[in-house]
Amino acid sequence: MFGYRGKILRVNLTKEKIAEEPLEESVARKFIGGRGLGAYILFNELQPGIDPIGSKNKLVVATGVVTGIPFPGNSGLNVMAKSPLTGIWGESTAKGFFGPELKSSGYDAIVIEGKAKAPVYLWIQDGEAEIRDASRLWGRPTREVQRVIKAELKDDRVQVGCIGIAGENLVRFANIMFGFNHFAGRTGMGAVMGSKKLKAIAARGTGRARYAREEKLVDLLVDRLNSKEALSGPYFPDGLFKYGSLADLGYWQETGRLPTMNFRKSLFPRYENLTAEALAASPYLIRHNTCPHCTVGCNRITKANTPYELDPEYATPEYESTAALSSFCMNDNLVATLKAIELCNKYGMDTMSTGVIIAFAMECYEKEKITRKETDGLDLTWGNHDVMIQLIEQIARRQGLGNLLADGSRKAAEKLGGGTEEFAMHVKGMEFPMHDVRGMKGHGLGIATSNRGACHLQVETDDMFEGQLDPDVGIDETTFPKEHRDRLYAGPEKVRLAKIIGDLFAVFDSLVICKWTVYPCGGYKTRTLVDIVATATGWDFTMDELMKTGERIFNLCRAFNVREGITRKDDKLPKRFTEPLPEGPYKGEAFPKNVFERMLDDFYRLRGWNRKTGIPTREKLEKLELSYVADNLTDLGLILPAKK
Amino acid sequence: MSEKYIVCDPDKCLGCGICEFVCSAVKDKSLDASFSRIRQVNFEPTGSLAIACLLCEKPPCVGVCPMDALLKDEKGVIRVDEYKCNGCGWCINACKFGAITLHPTRKVAMTCDLCDGDPECVKLCPFEDALAFSTIEEVTHGLRKRAVDKILHELLKVRTAGSS
Repeated sequence: MFGYRGKILRVNLTKEKIAEEPLEESVARKFIGGRGLGAYILFNELQPGIDPIGSKNKLVVATGVVTGIPFPGNSGLNVMAKSPLTGIWGESTAKGFFGPELKSSGYDAIVIEGKAKAPVYLWIQDGEAEIRDASRLWGRPTREVQRVIKAELKDDRVQVGCIGIAGENLVRFANIMFGFNHFAGRTGMGAVMGSKKLKAIAARGTGRARYAREEKLVDLLVDRLNSKEALSGPYFPDGLFKYGSLADLGYWQETGRLPTMNFRKSLFPRYENLTAEALAASPYLIRHNTCPHCTVGCNRITKANTPYELDPEYATPEYESTAALSSFCMNDNLVATLKAIELCNKYGMDTMSTGVIIAFAMECYEKEKITRKETDGLDLTWGNHDVMIQLIEQIARRQGLGNLLADGSRKAAEKLGGGTEEFAMHVKGMEFPMHDVRGMKGHGLGIATSNRGACHLQVETDDMFEGQLDPDVGIDETTFPKEHRDRLYAGPEKVRLAKIIGDLFAVFDSLVICKWTVYPCGGYKTRTLVDIVATATGWDFTMDELMKTGERIFNLCRAFNVREGITRKDDKLPKRFTEPLPEGPYKGEAFPKNVFERMLDDFYRLRGWNRKTGIPTREKLEKLELSYVADNLTDLGLILPAKK
Repeated sequence: MSEKYIVCDPDKCLGCGICEFVCSAVKDKSLDASFSRIRQVNFEPTGSLAIACLLCEKPPCVGVCPMDALLKDEKGVIRVDEYKCNGCGWCINACKFGAITLHPTRKVAMTCDLCDGDPECVKLCPFEDALAFSTIEEVTHGLRKRAVDKILHELLKVRTAGSS
């Protein structure tokens, strides 16, 4: 099979057994790789209701067909399991050098089952795999683990994905660090590794996939490189290279939507301290960094000695991390924010969830739902960055109040009670990204209906589309006139846009390609991706197939969630968004419940899901060639049986 | 040395490896970086650098070749006579920069030929001025300018501080 290595590695940690199985071309074509392949495997193999940190959960690490093809955004992999944070579909993508190296080592994906007795790591090299002792790595910070493994294996080109102490301590939003500065950040995939006592996965390979029309693929890529297509997106010409994603912070402030004080405010008075320009002008920014073959260069590396010492191995800011740990907690100190990011990365936990949970704790403290006695004397006043940093240490180690917060904001609010649920900014248990959806209605719908909880990377509409069209995927001036692409518009066209983008992004996470490089965020047109896939695999791959595949994958993940009990009642936004924005250009703008419910009605109708329950209909699943999924849902009494 | 060679600026190179891809694509229509005449090394988080043939004044690769297969031409480019070369690898060991490798399929010494004076990797490097095709004089002039600029900046600070 072209474009793939054609093999999946299956590792059972309980039985210490390693096996290899083929990746069938029919499966690859239907589910592509990455998210799609993981959803296919986990839907088939996980029983609903299992404990995400029990031995029955499985972790899938999957690359896709474009992983390793040398062009911008190509370096992705997707990590999937049932999420310890949400109890539903969990997944997170990571870019960098690990994905291509894993594919070079001979496998498209790894499935990890069971639970080791003592800490281990997995070593994969050119078609051989081995479970190795990791007892001396347990308790060590992420980059140190990578260094020690490279030294032990006597090869500095080994790529390592590993967890820090947060993953070991089963912090429910622990993440996995892949190489330098790349994370499978969300939904607590690090806790799944921790629960399996799997400290790291190391890969090294010298092979590569074969491509159907290799010379044509080379020409295509050189041509795309010459035309600088990747650099023609809305973030350019100044672009991500100059400011990184942190450019968003100033943009959201200017447009009155900067998530501030746990979404109670939308402007942060001292935001100038934290912008990309401020960082660029500061002495802390030491260099930029990029993924393999990427022309974007969005990463940042920082260093400082005072007021906090920053280790450049970990102090790598971008927008979501920065906003979550600054404005969202009313912290206006740039170095303190960078320090908070550094610690999260060192201990291996999601910066976004961490920031949102600290803001939750601060609001509880302000409203006296948590007292100084429960914080062991920590003064959780808004913006107290010294205490934020201590709290991060406590969360990673599950000490004191940190133990409560380490279970995520939903669980923490359940335990605290007293109306604290209203301060927990989450959907389905996953903490909010730094996007105030009162000022971007399609995004609100996307976040409420995303398969992994509050996620900004599964559906993105609004601002990005006001100037960006792609007629190939059906987004043009006629079908989506300018007023329907407006950020505040909440009509049926916006819902249709959310559906198209949900399907599109499902394919992106399956290919696996970085969304910064592809329409609508980046410069690559979807057509270019279709050409690359067709040239690489030799399939007669078309735009229609791409969109249908995306819809299939989106529905499969939804079916996974439906089995876990997700219905319409869970597709909702925190109550806070029904309250009007208090200030700024969009002062007074809210996301009223009736507007949201109307969008949801439209969304279910468009998706072919039952309007009352939000469960995909048999008819829809059959159209997407997912009859076996429909049968499974019927067996569980969730949808009606097929008509005889 | 007055010849132009491929220079990588460690302050600007981000280690993306596009240069490797471009080289193997243009020279061998391959997606394999092992076909590239320019290779890039990352030291995270410190930095990265790409290395191609530096056109040494006294190239040890030419000197050690027992087959006399290597030759420095009038532009300073190391030429490999593929008929004479037996792939023994002495030149590869002799080059302290790892700038010569073995061609993965033809199994003869492979080094940068500067694309006949217009290197593709330099043209397609995505990060401005990370790769340049320059002479020693141009490189050092740039370095001097950078240093002087910094000195003048500091001087200006001292002067304005003194005048206030």
